[in-house]
Amino acid sequence: MKKVLSLAMVSAIMLTTLAACGGNNAGNETNKATNTPSENAASNKPGNGGGEEASKIIGEVVFLTNRTDMIDKEYVDYEKRFEEKYPGVDLKFEAILDYDKTLKIRIASGEFPDVVFTPTLPNNELANYFAPLDDIPFSGEIYFKDLKAHEGKMYGVSSGGSTVGIVYNKKAFEKAGITAVPKTYDEFLAAAQKLKDAGIVPLASNFKDKWPLDTWVYDIPTLIGEEPAHQNKRAETETPYTLDNAYGKSWGILRELYEKGFLEKDVNSTNWEQSKKDVASGDFGMYLLGNWVINQVIENGAASEDIGFFPFPSDNTGVAKAPLNPDFFYAVNKNGNVQAAKAFVQWMIEESGYDDFSGFIPTLKDKEPKLPQLAEFNTYSPKYFEPAQPVDAATQIQNKAQLDQAATVQEFVLTKDPQKVLDKVNAAWAKAKKDLGL
Amino acid sequence: MLSRLSFNTQKKLIIFLFVSVPLLLLLTFAYYPALELFRISFTSWDGLSPDRTWIGWDNYKEVFSNSSIFGVFKHNLAYFVVGIVQNILAIYFAVVLNSKLKGRNFFRLLLFLPYILNGVAVAYLFGYVFDTTNGSLNYLLGQLGFGALSETSWLGNGSFVNYTLASIGLWRFMGFNMVIYLAALQSIPSDLYEAASIDGANGWKQFVHITLPNIYKIIELNLFLTVTGALEVFDLPFVLTKGGPAGASETFVMKIIETAFQFNNYGLASAMSVVLLLFVVIVLSIQRFLLNRKGE
Repeated sequence: MKKVLSLAMVSAIMLTTLAACGGNNAGNETNKATNTPSENAASNKPGNGGGEEASKIIGEVVFLTNRTDMIDKEYVDYEKRFEEKYPGVDLKFEAILDYDKTLKIRIASGEFPDVVFTPTLPNNELANYFAPLDDIPFSGEIYFKDLKAHEGKMYGVSSGGSTVGIVYNKKAFEKAGITAVPKTYDEFLAAAQKLKDAGIVPLASNFKDKWPLDTWVYDIPTLIGEEPAHQNKRAETETPYTLDNAYGKSWGILRELYEKGFLEKDVNSTNWEQSKKDVASGDFGMYLLGNWVINQVIENGAASEDIGFFPFPSDNTGVAKAPLNPDFFYAVNKNGNVQAAKAFVQWMIEESGYDDFSGFIPTLKDKEPKLPQLAEFNTYSPKYFEPAQPVDAATQIQNKAQLDQAATVQEFVLTKDPQKVLDKVNAAWAKAKKDLGL
Repeated sequence: MLSRLSFNTQKKLIIFLFVSVPLLLLLTFAYYPALELFRISFTSWDGLSPDRTWIGWDNYKEVFSNSSIFGVFKHNLAYFVVGIVQNILAIYFAVVLNSKLKGRNFFRLLLFLPYILNGVAVAYLFGYVFDTTNGSLNYLLGQLGFGALSETSWLGNGSFVNYTLASIGLWRFMGFNMVIYLAALQSIPSDLYEAASIDGANGWKQFVHITLPNIYKIIELNLFLTVTGALEVFDLPFVLTKGGPAGASETFVMKIIETAFQFNNYGLASAMSVVLLLFVVIVLSIQRFLLNRKGE
């Protein structure tokens, strides 16, 4: 009896803890994918000569993907459709985990699949491994042409884009008596007040988890300064963070929301998984996150038509603005089956439907996104800001100064004296800049 | 082939072969990386580039001069304090469960069980317990009528977040300490207690004059485990608070990991690891010195 009892207890505890372990990754990873910082790579094995270009689209093409979940499902259909269009091609998919690290090792070994996602390499090293893709005849203009480019040649085509704005529960807005979506910052504050009065937490910040604050570091300053290169520009100054520049203003907004009680009751004890359920049920009103979160909210029990998406009004001008962030970039192995690989990249962008499946903004500029919330977002005709190529200098200083910007946002919001926090960060920045001689 | 050799040579050869395998493994996977750690700590290696520039003692100077690096050690103090409480509790439970108590095996199991659980799983579990608005602890406090107390932000208050985290460590490791004490207690011959009770010593006197001196070495061992544990704590704050609020629960090991893998500064991170190693040695030497002096 004793043994049975203890066994039952052990299994009960195991089950609950296991359940608690699941989840949490999806959001994190999707988020990471959109801001991959450039790093130096060790693998510097130059490719040996170019392969003969096949004049026809035939042969075997292997695509190395990170979507292990799509193997034996969507990819079967992709293979069938692609091979129907190009009968001479044998398309194969290979899915791996820990994508960036594994791919770098395989590139260093000299042999890697024909189509891959670009690893974190500085742009000037891309030409060593990948073929230029400028001659792919896309049916229209594409986004993010210059992000994985070097000396005028493009080596990566984004698999899709995402944007950041307010994801909101329409039922919650209705209940609070908000009839129109706020178009200015003052209207936004008024809406938040109404939500609060109706007993709804206005904005789920997920403050404790740090990574949801990245939008306040990367995206909102872009909108405030109308300058996507703000992270790079930090390298030019000794005081990149001031109360009256884009960072100070962006973080000031979060601080104001916190002081007015528009965030979670206790911002230091937030729960990401629970917040999705709360937004879905209408206990929380809004998220300020990327469009990737929409499907996750719907998975947590919201009806798709109850979830809306609008650009965050960072000022009172009434002009809708939104950042546009790329997802992974397709690249073609310059020693592989280049012609067929290029045809595959074009097909993935134009015909596969992968962008709609993933809820991306399509890479083709004229193609409308399928996700209804993104279509709604576009009805506000926001001005999109494409990101700038990351510059090494700023990243180097940031690493040398051991600066975790999301942690700084936390400190900025919680402290009594924000100026002091900025002074501290600026001092570390200036010292690191000097030590590096930049 | 071996039979041609003399018995002595055979013996030596066998011993050599048997010892060389574990030694080789030990050298490759423990000592070589450790030496490499010392070497990297004198360079400014970024983790990827093939060149490792020798920069002498600069990394060590940085560790000791930068208060945001060295200052986090004071967060470990909480784990230290709670670790002592943990050992006192462990001795108490060990003594209680060593007596003829009904269902004592069940209680032993109950107290030891948390130790078996995976550390990250435990951290998640307590994330739900200490949640301010939906947490079970605050719900319980509210139901018991402590209105104000049930609003406490257990993981969000910089002044006691480390104690909250350390209390999870207490829950988890107390049973383990207890089992070690229990083993020590069972090795004390019972005739000592019989003789003492004939002489008229009460329970407390028996504990102080028989039990404690007999488990002295084991207390030392458990304190050693507690001290190293307190200095190297990492998984609880990493999962539960990410070092927050505003860095109040950041520990030294978290700082090392951040330095190496977020800021790509492997040189400095290696130096920090070496400093941590030295710190453990120093604290343990002090502890041994104090305990041994008292023992004599």
